[in-house]
Formats: sequence, structure tokens, C-alpha cells
Amino acid sequence: MSAPDWEQLIFIAAVTAVAAPLLGRYLAATFRGTGASQNRAPGDRVFLPVERVVYRALRVDPESSWTWRGYALAVLAFGLLSTLALYLILRLQGLLPLNPTHAPGMSPLLSFKSAASFITGTNWQAYEGETQASYLAQMAGLVVAQFTAGAIGLAVALAVVRGISGSARTIGNFWVDLTRSLVRVYIPLSVAGALVLVSQGAVQNFSGFRTATTLAGGTQQIPGGPVSSMEVIKLLGTNGGSFYGAGGAHPFENPNGFSNMFDLLLVIVLPFAIAIMFGRLIGRKRQGYAIVAVMAIIFLGHTVVSMQAEGHGNQLLPASVSQVASGGNPGGNMEGKETVFGPGGSALMTVGTMGTTAGATDSALDSYTPVGGAGAFVGILLGEISPGGDGGGLYSILVFSLLAVFVAGLMVGRTPEFLGKKIRAPQMKLVIAYALTIPIVVLVFGSVSLVLGAGTRSILNPGMHGLSEVMYAFASVANNNGSAFAGLSANTPWYDTTLGLVMLVGRFVPIVLALAIAGSLAGARVHARTRATLDTSGPTFGVFLLGVIVIVGGLIYFPMLILGPIGERFVG
Amino acid sequence: MRRHFLAGTVMLLGLTLVLGFGYPLLVTGLSALLFRHQADGSLVYRGGKLAGSSLLSQSFTDSEGNPMPRYFQPRPSDAGSGYDGADSGASNLGPSNALLIGFVPGVNTVGLDGRPSAANPFATRADPACVPTDPKGNPVTSPTPGQRYARNPDGSYVCDPSTVPERAIAYRTFNGLPASASVPIDAVTASGSGLDPDISVQNAMDQAPRVARARHLPAHQVTSLVHRYTQGRQWGFLGEPTVNVLDLNLALDRLR
Repeated sequence: MSAPDWEQLIFIAAVTAVAAPLLGRYLAATFRGTGASQNRAPGDRVFLPVERVVYRALRVDPESSWTWRGYALAVLAFGLLSTLALYLILRLQGLLPLNPTHAPGMSPLLSFKSAASFITGTNWQAYEGETQASYLAQMAGLVVAQFTAGAIGLAVALAVVRGISGSARTIGNFWVDLTRSLVRVYIPLSVAGALVLVSQGAVQNFSGFRTATTLAGGTQQIPGGPVSSMEVIKLLGTNGGSFYGAGGAHPFENPNGFSNMFDLLLVIVLPFAIAIMFGRLIGRKRQGYAIVAVMAIIFLGHTVVSMQAEGHGNQLLPASVSQVASGGNPGGNMEGKETVFGPGGSALMTVGTMGTTAGATDSALDSYTPVGGAGAFVGILLGEISPGGDGGGLYSILVFSLLAVFVAGLMVGRTPEFLGKKIRAPQMKLVIAYALTIPIVVLVFGSVSLVLGAGTRSILNPGMHGLSEVMYAFASVANNNGSAFAGLSANTPWYDTTLGLVMLVGRFVPIVLALAIAGSLAGARVHARTRATLDTSGPTFGVFLLGVIVIVGGLIYFPMLILGPIGERFVG
Repeated sequence: MRRHFLAGTVMLLGLTLVLGFGYPLLVTGLSALLFRHQADGSLVYRGGKLAGSSLLSQSFTDSEGNPMPRYFQPRPSDAGSGYDGADSGASNLGPSNALLIGFVPGVNTVGLDGRPSAANPFATRADPACVPTDPKGNPVTSPTPGQRYARNPDGSYVCDPSTVPERAIAYRTFNGLPASASVPIDAVTASGSGLDPDISVQNAMDQAPRVARARHLPAHQVTSLVHRYTQGRQWGFLGEPTVNVLDLNLALDRLR
């Protein structure tokens, strides 16, 4: 890694260290209590009247609070409705207005996969945004899904926190949580963020393609579109789906070194802030920071390894091609990377978002070195908790924390306890189901794809790299990441169907299980802390949690990593 | 459950209106007020006609597809058939793929019989990593015994021109550099978008003497122009130093 690479990393760490606690404090003030007449929150004068209109239109009583079953049903009902609506928009976009690029309707399977993909926050894209999605579909379909995906994650996290720590048997009201998240967090931050991106050169217009006469006398189509407004919520909502095919590598989405780092901050600051909010909401700030520390260590792990590998370059290229960084040459592995980002900046932004459900890329992951690509793989496989999707990162790491106190409890022979509540068999069954759901679907669907012609025909790169392409696809969609080793041609009946299904399972099964765990703990007696209580906010627990995450989350995939990136590193 | 579906339907309709239309229109309006040039795509005009965008690379090739020596050349592109503004994208070639790195013994080299081989049977003197092409010009990475190959007049194999080793050879020839000259990595690799508007400073400096010769300009005039169009790192550490190819070429054309 060159000196500017380190400087960019330190910049990201410093800005996050300042911004996340501030935002976390704001979130905690906003989401304290249940129901709408929670304690007074900042900005009530502006936001409260808007929210009251929403509650009246929805005919919900904002003061009501539900059991976990009611909450989960509302999430599922809203997910189903949104999926259907988005499916229809994508199918019919050719007939609908606001389509200056004349995109035809998507095929049924592609519409299904794309709808599932955006509703679950996965944002895997098997279409070219420039020509295969209309402006209307992008604005009124995909962007709306991106807002709700982020807000649903945050809402579920709030409900889980109430269940795990609260004394009430109910865990909140989904419509209230969703509304408040959108009105008080996502919409204001998105408008401001979009303007910052436009100021750097990201486009925002409705002009369709413009034809330019190039200097050499040829022609070039200049694309347009409401790009910045999508780019910002793609990142802020940890979604990852871009307006254009090339995603964050496209200069019209991510034009320069500043916007590249700004993009990364849009992704990671909010999930860190949500963890800090958790500590404040339960009245134990240290607990929040213990979780932040575990998240940050994993984030630095996979990101720095990847930056190092990409900066080092592709060892298989001839020595006469200069891969050593100097003032006039970015050096490193530049295939699939933009000059202005360089290898280190590209890996920082791309792999930095792999521990979240964003999976937003500014470079082509398929062309990463084996070690660089493995960094992205690891971020996803550890369950996306570094720092995780909006809300998703928090409830995932809380489930891992329950597992950690259980294992620790077994070791010392005490009934495990988290935040004063005893963890017993019913909770542990749900925790185990949560921890196994995603590995099972990844490994089963991935392995089947590797023995079926329908699966292997889509592979672009030969050998071990091809295995990585397939396994990465399932790992990515099951964790709702959405980044890809994009050489894989995933718009085939086999991949449209399986990837679409895996996304839905990977999103809604963990949500229901997390809510069920919260529900089973809601109202449980809170035991006073004694000297014998295992401290869950100190370094000992942090290291222990880290170990549980690596062993439970990582080891299950180890054979696959040996056959994929690790093998490629040593053979290739 | 019916209650949830009713509330969900109203919510979705409302959000589609507010977030699907209101929000992008608000951002578009504010952008047009505050940052019109950027929001429009940083468009560049020449003689009143749209000539491109400062943020998108375009091709500088003549009608036969050969790179024009009088213009600085951008990085290779995999956007559509090259620099296609309507089809951004990368090669997605893996780091050990022969189409990217050529045939490297012990990694991906294949003999005439299609089996792994310790030496590259298609090697030429200029390119030991040569990947042969069939008579139609398509690269052959998995030879079979009956395969036919394209040959040069001297009998050597025609190599796939888009591997990194081949691009490096072409870059040296085009710029009149000695065979031992080291080639900047960005000059021989395609970007993620295929529309990378920039090249590295070293890449621009390597091309400057050729551009000066083609335009009958003194070399120092072209290099000083390169210096003027070199963008340093933002705030001193964000991103990499770059040279914008379209802006530089427009400035060159204005020199006349």
C-alpha cells in the first residue's frame, strides 16, 4: 500500500469516528421508546406533522405496539406488495411513460429476479441500466425499493433491540418505525448527499441519450438520467444497485477521488451509527462501542488485505509492464479499475462495502487478484457485520452475541445471560437456525450449480476462478450483498430463478428469526448484574465474539475458499 | 393480515409518489439551479456542436479503426465494442485468464494437443505469451488437434491483440519506445466502466513525443500542455493524479 492509500484509509476512519457517534446520538434520540409519542426528538416541529398525515392515511394508531408476530407479518405483507408492484413496473416499463431510452419490458424471469433483488436490498443486476431499464422504472420502481429496503432493515433492528432489552412484551409498530426512518433519516440525508455528488460531476437530468460528434469524427452516445438521486440511496440504504451497468465505476456516478471516498462513507457511517444508537437505547453506551469495535476490526481486516493485494498487482503479468506505484503511475492491478481511483482506492471502496449489504463496487471484482477477491468474499461470508447493512448488521451481530454468550456460558458452567436476560433452549434453537440458514442455501445451491450444465455454462473464466464466480454469486445474493464476479452470465433461466429465490430466503428468513428471538425475550425478567455476570461490553467478550464469528461464520465455508481463491493464489 | 395489506398498499402508493417522483424532481431542480454543468454531464462543445463529455472517454481512431498519432490515446475499453456510452462495462477477465495475461507457462499454457504444457508452442519472438487466433481472428485458448490458426506472412502465429503483453508491444511500437521500455499499467488494461476519461501522468508523458512529431510541434510545448492538464490528488491525498484525455486533446486542437 502506498502512502496515499494509508491516508485515504485514515481519512475514512477519522470521518467515521466523528460522524458515526453524532449520527448515533441523533438516531437514539429519534427512536427512543415505542409508538409515535415517544420522547421529544430533534426536528419534531418539521417531521411530526408529516408523520401524522402518514398515520392518518394508513389508518394506523401510532401509539399501538405489537408482538413479534404482528411485526413480522407487517414486514412480510409490505415485502410481498412491494415485490409485486416492482415486478409489474419492470414488466410493463416499455408501455409506461418516461422512457426516453426506449427500454423494452423485462422478461418475466428477469423481472422476478430484479424485483426480488431490489426489494431485499440485494441489488444484483443482470440487466444493463443504460438500455434495459426506463427512467420511470429506475425512479418510481427501483429507487422506492432502495429507500424501503434500508428503512425496513433499520425498523427490524429497532424491534429486535426493544425485544432483547426491553421490559414490555411488545416490540413496536412497523408502520411507525418505517415512517420515522424514512422521514427523519433517509430522505433528508439523501437530498443533501445527492447534491454533494452532483457538485462533483455525477449527473442528474432527464435528457435521454445525446449524440456527440467526437474529435475523431465519430459519434458517441452520452447517457443521462436521474442518476445522483439513485446513487445516494443506493449507498445510504446499503443497497448497491446502480443506474448504469458499470455501477460505481461509471464516471457519471462516481467521478473522482473525493466522490469515491464520499460513497464509501455514505455506506458505512450509518450502520456504525446504528450500533452506537443501540448502546444508547439500552442505556449501556459501552455495549454499543464493543460491537462497533468488533465490526471495525473485521472491516479493517478484509479491506486492508485487499488494498495490499491490489496495490501489489498481478504477479502473472510480464515485468515490462510497470505495476510499481510512482507519482506518475498508479501501478498495481488496474484491470477493471479507473485511473483516478487507483488500485488502493478502488479496493478500499469496493471491499470496504463488502461487509455491508451494499456491495457497491467502483471496480470489476472478477478481475481482482485472488487475495484481493478473497477479501471481498470474506466480508460477505462472515455474515456482513462489518459494519453490516442498515439495521441488518446490528441484528446479525446481536444474534452472534447470543451465540457467543451461550458458548461462554457452557465453558464456565453458568446459564448464559445477555443484557440481564437468560438465554435458554428456545432462543438457542432460533439462533442456530439463523446461523445456518445462509450457509445452507449458499453451499447447496452453489454446489448444484457446479454440477449442472445450466450452472457451469454461464462461467466466463476457466479453472478455479470459475468456481469462485459461481460460489460468489450465491454467497452474495444470500447475504443480500449484490456484488458479483460479473463474468458469470446470470441472466439465464437457472440463475434468474435460483438467485431470485435465494435472495428472498436470505432476506426474510433471518428477519423473521431475529424478530422471533426478540419476541421470545420480550418481557423476560431482567436480572440484576452481579460480580459473577459475564461482562459483554469489555475486550474479553469482544475477542470472544470475534472468535465465534470467524469460527461459526467463516469455517463452514473454508473448503469452498480452498477450492476457489486460495487455490487460485497458489496454483495460478 | 388484511389490515396490513391495506396499510401497505397506501404506504406504497404514497412512497411511489413522494420518493419515486417528488424526490428525484426536487434533486433535479436543485441541481439545475446549483450545479447545472455537472448535472448535465460535464458536456464539452466544439464550434457550437456537442463533442462529448469531460467525464467519458471517447475513441480517437481514424475511419479504419487505427489510433490517430496526433491525439493522446485513452485506455483500452470494454464498453460495448469500445467507448460505447450506452453500454458501460468491464472485461471481467480473471487475473489468470489467458485472454488477459496471455499464455504463462505453469499457469494456463496449453500445447497444440490441448493438454497443459510447460512451454508455449505459439510463442513468437516478440511475444512469448502469444495466444493464437483462428482464421476469423477469434482467440483460441483451448486448442484441439484439428484447430486451424491464423498465420503472419513469415509463418509465425497471429496473436490475440488484446492481451496485456500484446497491448504492451503495440504501445511501444506506436509511441516509438525501445523494446525494453516499461509500459504504464493503465495503458494496457481496460477500466471498470470502459469510459475512464483519464490516463496516468506517465502514460501521457510516454505519448507526448509521438503527438508532438505527428503535429510538427516542439516536444516541450506538448509536455508543458500535459503538465497544465495534470490533475493532482484532491486535497493532496484523495485518488490518483490523472490527465484528462479529451480536455488535453481539445487544448491541442486549439493550439493551431
